[in-house]
Amino acid sequence: MMAELDKANQELDDLFAAARETPAALPDQLMMSILADATAARVEAMTAAPVAGQQSQPRNGVWRQLMLAIGGLAGAGGLVAASALGLWIGLAPPSFLPDPAQLVGYSDSTSVPYDSYDLAMMLGEEVQ
Amino acid sequence: MYNNTTISKQRSPAPGPLLMGDPDPKLSDDALLVRYTNGDGRAAQELTARLAPRCFGMAMRVLGNRAEAEDVTQEAMMRLWRMAPNWQPGQAQMSTWLYRVAMNLCIDHKRRQRGGNVDLDAVPDPVDTARSAAEQMQDGARHDALQVALMQLPERQRQAVVLRHIEELTNPEIAGIMDISVEAVESLTARGKRALATILAGRHKELGYNDG
Repeated sequence: MMAELDKANQELDDLFAAARETPAALPDQLMMSILADATAARVEAMTAAPVAGQQSQPRNGVWRQLMLAIGGLAGAGGLVAASALGLWIGLAPPSFLPDPAQLVGYSDSTSVPYDSYDLAMMLGEEVQ
Repeated sequence: MYNNTTISKQRSPAPGPLLMGDPDPKLSDDALLVRYTNGDGRAAQELTARLAPRCFGMAMRVLGNRAEAEDVTQEAMMRLWRMAPNWQPGQAQMSTWLYRVAMNLCIDHKRRQRGGNVDLDAVPDPVDTARSAAEQMQDGARHDALQVALMQLPERQRQAVVLRHIEELTNPEIAGIMDISVEAVESLTARGKRALATILAGRHKELGYNDG
């Protein structure tokens, strides 16, 4: 019995070896179908990529376009700095610059004594 | 293998029909897949020539049906093309990955078709035409006998035996494909081989073996 099984095992090994030596031939039609699939899959991948890009753009479209328009983070920083400087100049202009309020036609008709010298001069005029 | 007079060496990432190149046969599967992704049609052809016959042969042995094996092979290769842009070179062996996909597709086929009979058309076509007709007939009988015996095995034993003894994969590779432990693979292949030997024990003369 053992001898028969040993022999059957040897025969089985021979069958396996024969199967390995004569692999299944890939049918030509199957080969053509696989290559057609390869072409279709690549075209599908190439056309799917732009669609995915279009879908992702609306998620941050407005903010992203604004940032791009002003030059990114550097542009945004410069814009904020210029705005702050303009506001400061408007509120407290340096002495060598004209008063922005006068430039737009507004002027105060009464002069207000700002310091003790002005106040003394004004009081002296009234006494005289 | 390739007709160099019709080969264009242009490369372009533009979509459309795959372009023709002349990939080095020594290129790895990973490199070929990258070339395919970049539009090299010959890379797809080379990959198909390397991988599809093994996938087809395995499916034929496991399913015992030529038409189903063709379906499995085409679907497995389609999955390879589709995941090509996301393939991570070096993370897995492509042939092992394809075996795993194909084996899962075979299992799906079997689940849908319980109790099917052996399809005699499933026997692989002998490719060696140098032998005599008598030898080829004898080989055919042996293939028939092996396939018939394989189809009598439980499904998991058949899968393990085909992968181990016909596809010559290592036990760890088979364990990865079948999603079981290496010890389970060893058990399945040992029991499968014993069962096959028992099935074939009484068919010496039919297979052309001498008793001496």
